[in-house]
Amino acid sequence: MRLLDRYEEIVGHQEVERLRRLAERLAGKRIVHVNSTRSGGGVAEILGWMVPLMEELGIDAHWEVVSGPPEFYRVTKAFHNGLQGLPVTLKKSDFNLHYEVNRENAQRLNLHADIVFVHDPQPIYLPQFTPPGQVGRWIWRCHIDASHPDRAIWKYLETAIAGYDATIFSMAAFARPLACPMFLILPSIDPLSDKNCAIPEAERLETLSHLGIDPERPLLLQVSRFDRFKDPVGVIEAYRLLKPYYPSVQLALAGGSADDDPEGAQVLGEVLEYAGNDANLKVLMLPPDSHRVINALQRSATVVLQKSLKEGFGLTVTEALWKGKPVIGGACGGITLQVHDYQTGFLVHSPAGAAYRIRYLLRYVDKRQRMGQTGHDFVRDHFLLTRQLRDDFTMLLCLDHPEAGTLVV
Amino acid sequence: MAAAEPFCLMDCSLTRLATGRACFNLRELLDAIRTASDAVLEHHMMRCALENHFELYEFPNDLARWCWTALGDNVLGEQLGLVDPYQQPSTSALRAALANVVEDRLWGLDRAPWCHPGLELHLIESRLIAYDTGERITTPSALLETIEHMSLRSLFFHVHEARRRTAGHTDDFSLWLEVSGNAESAESLVTALRGIDFYFLNLSQLRQAVIEAFRHYFEEAPPVARIVS
Repeated sequence: MRLLDRYEEIVGHQEVERLRRLAERLAGKRIVHVNSTRSGGGVAEILGWMVPLMEELGIDAHWEVVSGPPEFYRVTKAFHNGLQGLPVTLKKSDFNLHYEVNRENAQRLNLHADIVFVHDPQPIYLPQFTPPGQVGRWIWRCHIDASHPDRAIWKYLETAIAGYDATIFSMAAFARPLACPMFLILPSIDPLSDKNCAIPEAERLETLSHLGIDPERPLLLQVSRFDRFKDPVGVIEAYRLLKPYYPSVQLALAGGSADDDPEGAQVLGEVLEYAGNDANLKVLMLPPDSHRVINALQRSATVVLQKSLKEGFGLTVTEALWKGKPVIGGACGGITLQVHDYQTGFLVHSPAGAAYRIRYLLRYVDKRQRMGQTGHDFVRDHFLLTRQLRDDFTMLLCLDHPEAGTLVV
Repeated sequence: MAAAEPFCLMDCSLTRLATGRACFNLRELLDAIRTASDAVLEHHMMRCALENHFELYEFPNDLARWCWTALGDNVLGEQLGLVDPYQQPSTSALRAALANVVEDRLWGLDRAPWCHPGLELHLIESRLIAYDTGERITTPSALLETIEHMSLRSLFFHVHEARRRTAGHTDDFSLWLEVSGNAESAESLVTALRGIDFYFLNLSQLRQAVIEAFRHYFEEAPPVARIVS
């Protein structure tokens, strides 16, 4: 079975047919995506499905990956943090290193294309080192909240962005004023990936048993890195406020390994200390490839929380909604686009707010189920990969026809 | 009886662009209404319907919704909710109408209301990309079946966008019934379709209203006068 046929079973024949009609307008174009890793992280996950799907739709799509010494990744990690507003200190030699690694990669990579999508800051200087005429259009895709970046880093990156024909941000709030068009395209999830596909009931129960979670009692879940902005301590506080009313409730905080993130390890320590010795409270450190475990946990949850204080888009919210779970989310970033009060869950501003909304959802089973169904439908209509591809295609058609007004193609 | 020219089913997709500009208070909103591009006003007053996901949204446009929820100005929210862009002869007339409402409100306030951080109105402009689906419909009953299953984007294109194209005069469905040579017999359906208060419905509600108009026509019109499939 072809890939698109499998997605057709989920989004419907009409959606896939429309995608094919749009792709016909771009058939034969050579499109290259460039990022900094082939595995791990959200961008690699997206490109993992996007490139094969584009190929199946008749587009000559390719995926190139930049590489550099370990120091290069230290610098680009600092760029990432700086874009998100953390104060960072880099030396001139750090910027020079980034610049030179981009030069080397421009010579090494096959960048002959009608369109090159450059993802995030790591390969951002490639256009500077590519001969004129080799690439039709350069598009920079920023997956990061760049609304309040570190000034020095932004100035360095802004110089590179001048070489692009367009940029893409996830939300208007994440964009900064730029001379080139700033398209807005929301991220999406792959419903057939290990993290989101249907799993056998036996596997789900076995996962819970392995983690020491009782499948018969209510389960609250937050899946996220151990990061203060995700407010894991606030989640525990909400759980404790709820406990007198629902003594049997369980809480699982599931996050990835923090070995390579000193601050993550510190936050994990704080969370473990705050959690104390509570058999109904599980702090789960999962390996990076635990997609099916997370899938099983999300499918087992009664209510999913994402009580972030600051958030990019929040794909873990999308994943939970897709699995028919109401979500209680912090009122910030992309969570506000996905969680709508009384529709798909509740937006909250404090642990007390979270506890109050959990009580509501535990009390009203019918409302919980209705919100779960609405959330699932909402994700199907707005946050699956077919929609993201459609947005990408229409953006490319827009660039080909820049005149104002409705475009009929 | 088949109509002379088949109905051409279109679909569309919205391409949205950030402007890098945001409003934090009512005075900035007034300034934006006066100076933002036509594409920005059209997005926040019309094409935002394509992003209106749920049944319970209070208002049909972004400006009314923002004043209500972010500024907490319920009076202005209600007033802006009543500004129907499809009743305006041009975008400049729409701009003037909106500016008048907001300025009038500001006039009576001692201080311009501000929103909380994070609730700013980020100005967006958008462009509609329409494309032929390849589907052709030849009879009104087949059109009804298609409407029941078409994407909400198609519905937007054939109702909202058609009204914009025709300066508020008609949607594509009733126009097709009219030009298909059966205008006289389908007059009641044409009138019913054009009478739908589409701007105040979300797209799911609009689909239901259109379907009801067709069903009522098929059930109530005398067989002699009815366009049959």
